[in-house]
Amino acid sequence: MKDYFQLQFKILNRKMIEFGLPLLIGYSLIIIVFILLSNHLFLKTEFAIYLYGLIALSVVSKLSHPKRNDFLKSIFNKNKYLKFRVVENLLYSMPFICFSIYKGQFLFVFVLIFFAIIMTLFNFSPNINITIPTPFGKNPFEFLVGFRKTFYVFPIAYLLTFISISVGNFNLGIFSILLIGGVCLSYHSKVENEYYVWNFNVSSKDFLIEKIKTCLINFTLLSLPVTVALSIFFFNEIDNLILIVLLCYAYLIKIIFAKYSAFPNEMDLSQGVFIGISFMFPPILLVFIPIFYFRAIKKLNIILE
Amino acid sequence: MIKIKTLSKFYGKNQVLNTIDLEFEKGRVYGIVGENGAGKTTLFRCISGLETYDGQITSDFNKLKDHLGLLLTEPFFFSKITGKEYIQFLANSRHLKLSNIEDKNIFNLPLNQYASTYSTGMKKKLALTAILLQENDAFILDEPFNGVDIQSNIVIAEIIKKLKKLNKTVIISSHIFSTLAETCDEIYLMKNGKIIKKVAKADFNNLEKEMKEFTVGNRIDRLELK
Repeated sequence: MKDYFQLQFKILNRKMIEFGLPLLIGYSLIIIVFILLSNHLFLKTEFAIYLYGLIALSVVSKLSHPKRNDFLKSIFNKNKYLKFRVVENLLYSMPFICFSIYKGQFLFVFVLIFFAIIMTLFNFSPNINITIPTPFGKNPFEFLVGFRKTFYVFPIAYLLTFISISVGNFNLGIFSILLIGGVCLSYHSKVENEYYVWNFNVSSKDFLIEKIKTCLINFTLLSLPVTVALSIFFFNEIDNLILIVLLCYAYLIKIIFAKYSAFPNEMDLSQGVFIGISFMFPPILLVFIPIFYFRAIKKLNIILE
Repeated sequence: MIKIKTLSKFYGKNQVLNTIDLEFEKGRVYGIVGENGAGKTTLFRCISGLETYDGQITSDFNKLKDHLGLLLTEPFFFSKITGKEYIQFLANSRHLKLSNIEDKNIFNLPLNQYASTYSTGMKKKLALTAILLQENDAFILDEPFNGVDIQSNIVIAEIIKKLKKLNKTVIISSHIFSTLAETCDEIYLMKNGKIIKKVAKADFNNLEKEMKEFTVGNRIDRLELK
């Protein structure tokens, strides 16, 4: 069992180093970010403890994947396997337990430990294999795959728009557009297998144009109910609305270029920092977009030209 | 025709392909055999342009990759993409319009299910169907028979023969000698990144015997099985 955990620790360290984070800074960052986010949650809502519990259990549930546990069962005997799963689940819930103790939520700690142990008895896959229909079937794949993973966000965004109109809060409507934009950004955040790029019989430039065209059309379609409703009910704010939509377009273009500027690898820390800066200071997109574009062309040329 | 001249490939200091010279003609089927790690997949990746290399690879086409169907040993599928959408995507990427995909589903795959949930053999059959529908002129099939049921193996062998009749170039790697012998016109034996032997169809029977002696040697004895 000790060997297994040592191996997991090694894998985690390797992942952090590959991401470009020195281990000391990486672990410090994880702890600081976790404390800040937890604190923020408890400051924001009185129902924080329930949300915290759900988050903790969803993190622990990642360890209940049948394939993974079938493998563990094949190498450990039944008693060892159960002991191992209990230790693992408790390790995963430990940060939540520690923070809850700090918050004085002792009853919650007992409930969390109880459920973490109970979950060792069950295996379940978080992936539902029902084919969810999407409007993007003709042009797979980013929006098609992404939509199936995040389809529930869109009714929420449309509901928020309805509420924003009912209560006359334009900012809430803007938040709905940003929510849709953020979700669409996430569709392009992960790099695809090189085979999916290799198959295209176009130049690197045309490849990028095609990707951007598809992305902007699909984003426009998904955000159309929100933008149309807001432009009717908040006509005096139309200039701000157009600005926000254009900003979403710019970020979507940037994320596509940034993704392929690292191709075939995932985006690294430096690209993440550039993206972070552009969120804080949007005008810098005018500099970053061309830089990422030329880098992306260079990377894609290796496979497409 | 695909012509390979003094092809070499290094990963750092490790040389995985060593000055390979090969020619693949239209209307012929070529087999590449060799142990795991001999360099077969790297050779295929170089031909298809997925790897940089030293040497020359030329063909009758302006861009070989745009006319090439590549079946990878382990085809990759996104978690939420159906079999039908995968076929559609590969056709779209070559600007082809496909109709009646269901009619072309010769392996009776559950096309409306997520491809990632398919078994190994089903994934391979889906990937093969998709590249066949791309109307390619040349094909590289990396272990097309692996993990596939016996009935489908027969179908795949017949597909390869049909491709030959259609004057396509087909390059296959496989560890199943019987299917290679049935479908190939020539077989190349690879070892440590080098082509060490070229065998014509008439000599296939001797090759199997030779390979057995050459590959097995006294290895089994070294295990000291009791």
